[in-house]
Amino acid sequence: MKAHPAWRDAVIAAIAVIVVLAIPLFHRSPAFEDFVIRLSAMALFATSLNLLVGNTGMVSFGHGMFYGLGAYAFALTMQMTDLSLPVAAVLAVLFTTFAALCVGAICVRLSTDYFAFITLAVQMLFFSIIISWQSLTGGDQGLRGGIPRREIFGFELASQLHLYQFCTVVAVLGLLALRHITTSPFGQTLRMIRDNENRVSFLGVVLWQARLRAFTIAGAFAGLGGVLAALFVSGAYPELADWPNSGQAIFAVMLGGINSFLGPVLGAMILLALNDVVTRFTEYYGLVLGIVILAFAVGLRRGVLDFLRLAWPGRAR
Amino acid sequence: MTTTRKPGLSRRSTLALMGAGAATFAAPWVARADANILRIGMQSILSGPIALLGNSSRNALMMEQDRINAAGGFLGRQIEFLFRDSKGQPQESARIARELVNSSGCELLVDSEASSGAFAVQEVIRDLGNVVCIHTNSETSALTADPKIRAPTAFRVARQGVHDAVAGSIYLADFSKARKLNKWATCSPDYAYGRDTTAQYLQFLKQFNPDIEVVTDAWPKLGQPDFTEVITKLIQAKPQALFTLLYAGDLSAFVNQANVYALFSQMTVATPNVDYPVMAAIKNLPAGIQSATRYLETFPDTPANKEWGEAYHKRWNERPTTWSWQCTVAMQFYEAGIKKANTLEAKALSAALTGLKINTPFGADGTITMRDDHTTINYAIGWGQTTPKEPFMVDIKPADWGKIIELETEWKKQQKYI
Amino acid sequence: MDLTALGVCLTTSACVVTQATSGLIVGMLLFLVAAGVTLIFGVLKIVNFAHGTFYMLGGYVAYTTLNVTDSYALAVLSGTLATALFGVLFERFLISRVYGSNVLMQLLVCYAVVLIFDDVVKIVWGPEFHAMGMPPAFQVPPLFIAGGVVPPFYIALIGITALIAIVLSLGLSMTRIGKTVRAAAINPQMVSALGVNTTLLFAIVFAVGGGLAGLAGALAAPVRSLSPGMGFSVLIESFIVTVIGGMGSIAGALVAALLIGLVRGFGTIGFPQFTDGLIYIMMIIILLLRPQGLFGRRS
Repeated sequence: MKAHPAWRDAVIAAIAVIVVLAIPLFHRSPAFEDFVIRLSAMALFATSLNLLVGNTGMVSFGHGMFYGLGAYAFALTMQMTDLSLPVAAVLAVLFTTFAALCVGAICVRLSTDYFAFITLAVQMLFFSIIISWQSLTGGDQGLRGGIPRREIFGFELASQLHLYQFCTVVAVLGLLALRHITTSPFGQTLRMIRDNENRVSFLGVVLWQARLRAFTIAGAFAGLGGVLAALFVSGAYPELADWPNSGQAIFAVMLGGINSFLGPVLGAMILLALNDVVTRFTEYYGLVLGIVILAFAVGLRRGVLDFLRLAWPGRAR
Repeated sequence: MTTTRKPGLSRRSTLALMGAGAATFAAPWVARADANILRIGMQSILSGPIALLGNSSRNALMMEQDRINAAGGFLGRQIEFLFRDSKGQPQESARIARELVNSSGCELLVDSEASSGAFAVQEVIRDLGNVVCIHTNSETSALTADPKIRAPTAFRVARQGVHDAVAGSIYLADFSKARKLNKWATCSPDYAYGRDTTAQYLQFLKQFNPDIEVVTDAWPKLGQPDFTEVITKLIQAKPQALFTLLYAGDLSAFVNQANVYALFSQMTVATPNVDYPVMAAIKNLPAGIQSATRYLETFPDTPANKEWGEAYHKRWNERPTTWSWQCTVAMQFYEAGIKKANTLEAKALSAALTGLKINTPFGADGTITMRDDHTTINYAIGWGQTTPKEPFMVDIKPADWGKIIELETEWKKQQKYI
Repeated sequence: MDLTALGVCLTTSACVVTQATSGLIVGMLLFLVAAGVTLIFGVLKIVNFAHGTFYMLGGYVAYTTLNVTDSYALAVLSGTLATALFGVLFERFLISRVYGSNVLMQLLVCYAVVLIFDDVVKIVWGPEFHAMGMPPAFQVPPLFIAGGVVPPFYIALIGITALIAIVLSLGLSMTRIGKTVRAAAINPQMVSALGVNTTLLFAIVFAVGGGLAGLAGALAAPVRSLSPGMGFSVLIESFIVTVIGGMGSIAGALVAALLIGLVRGFGTIGFPQFTDGLIYIMMIIILLLRPQGLFGRRS
């Protein structure tokens, strides 16, 4: 396997940013822009989860906790202080990173299934704290009154176009960073842990340290996704940190393809688009989504990108 | 699998990805606006344990749609509702509100979400700034009472928590004095509406009857399947009366499980939340529950009110809820406001709605007013007691609106809203 | 937090009896659902995330049967049998296709089934909640034992669930099929190599597991509200029970379910606004100290 040239990723990312940013110059579609904003949050969320699931073989059921934490930390910082938006965002991500480090320190030593359960339990505890700590979080009603979106460098994030541009750039940069981590020697180590943890530990890698690092990084990027989500809804809601939301990320990963870097992004795209389209035509959204998921799970038995790559293996670069 | 795993994307899969992406992108945003139809977006909870909220709202709105279209529509345009289910998830509520305006071409919104959803919609309305929205179901006072949360183009046509609390407390204070019920228990859903509203009731209740003390409180979760341990806890404390804010499916489950423990023979129960369909769904509804009139065909006891209630019953084969009349009045406000402003433009329409007084069967005196703080006053509130058979509620005492507004103002000052 | 109230409660027999029985009833119904989850996991190594759906269907089928026949016994029976059948179909047509795949793939299939059947219930029975109402035989005043209140309906429920627990454990230890099930839980390849029809065995396990959840749903229908999506909170709780008790252990499920019932019963007095949090903390502590659960075998 040849080392992946980092500059290629950077070029692809740059092209993606330019294309997405250019679209509103030709055609303004608020719905499309909303879609991209939500996708940027969800793409970071799902891709960061896949760093654990696909790359390291750690199935976390509680990833939504960090998404929610990022959203709350950011929204509360903006509401309670006069810090500028980027500073608040960075603080929120740092806070989430630290939380992920603490949670990870407790969880990563457990083996596969138990790891999944304990992450789920920690998430549910976190969720019930959000609900109970009403004076800070607003309980189930979420943070009320909106997030003041202070201008940054002439960007007014209450404006949809500016939010669109901001989210696109942040998401692509975030994905690029995750990509870089995945292809780095550390990323290789994680894949080796997934494939054969005994062999890796014979090579002198301290398993729990590598896992903890992966868990912390994944938490950080989920937190960044949460910041974008908070910007979109202009608030933070406990549902962002709830179990079904973790489920959404898992489904995005599974639908898009666990072994492809862009799989979760595609999966997120499919889920969001399905939700947007189907809910317009029927209130039986669950029925439709359920059938689509079954078709993937029982029919393809893997995510779309993984399926495509398996179907045309020879054409791969 | 391992042999085919490659770090990057193949060209073909990239193309396929782009194709799939293009297909998913194209579908939702194909414009299909018919300029003559005026679309009104409605969002609510249409599934799950409190689907009653959304469905009884939708039913009322569909009746209004027929009525308004038969009368020529708004500004000569026929109206059409687009209904969306947020499943009770606030971030989905926010998305739907934007979607209805941005891509489905809705020019007016009716937000029939429960409280948490309504707060999410409120922020969207504030951000959009170019569309009028009427919240029909959120009773949480802060939505409009708190000037930081109030939005310039968003209104509430619904009972408001603090109004209910004043009206209910005055009634219950008199009731408890007459019967010497001083030991109370509370049992309310453990979320913001339950906690805030219970606190409001207790504050006023103690103000009007200082002898009242709360001997125990229970806070079940929303949608909790089993209330057994809560019920036994209440019985243990031996209160003389119980105040509960549970509603819909939760209230029904609570009553059924409390019946098993014969709770209703051990204490007087008071609740503001008994709607017709809930009374109908509860088998063995105990008599003598002190209750607010959510919606009642016999209160106000006018022909217009009865006629509407019967029409609803006939069309949907069930009786209306408080949410039904609130949605109906929301449409009556739109009708009158649009006529006055002669436009749908958000600023002008908002100005027309502010301070507007309309004639409606659901007013305490045949009218309801949209006050300057974007919330309705003077709607019918009364308290009475339940009977297992029609008319389901008797001995109804109407609330004194003068008193309500006086105490509401006092409360607003305490909260530093004014 | 109200520790004095908890202290007072624990020292009065009336309070202890009442809260303990209410904990017992919550726990026993939970056990019926969790027993299915743990049984299925024990034999098939599948975490059945769709188990709440079985519970829901059991309740709805019972509701309809009661409306048609006016017999609570028939209602419970039909609820149980219908979900047992549903369990077999679910195993044969869906779950059997993802045996041996990633746990996430199984999660995906189960979640799809949850989504589909929540909507099917909505289509068939409507989106509104339903209440079954108490069968006339049980419309009697509660008993007073040692100053505590105990309703006859709940005595009957506890009796039935205790009976099921006994039958289940005897069945597993005494009958041939029970022994095969236990053997399959330890070494499925060996059981299969010995000529046991594992296809049939797996279907039976799903029938029993599903039937138990359906039974719980049907038994609880007179006192709980029926609504689409009602299985979700039950699923989460039964999942917690299974993890605490030990994945695959019936005895563990029983102990953990009762434990949770008691935590609810007394937690509501001591920590009325944080009972859920208590349960999650319990789950985390157990996973840390004894990841295989109270009664689980270390794999």
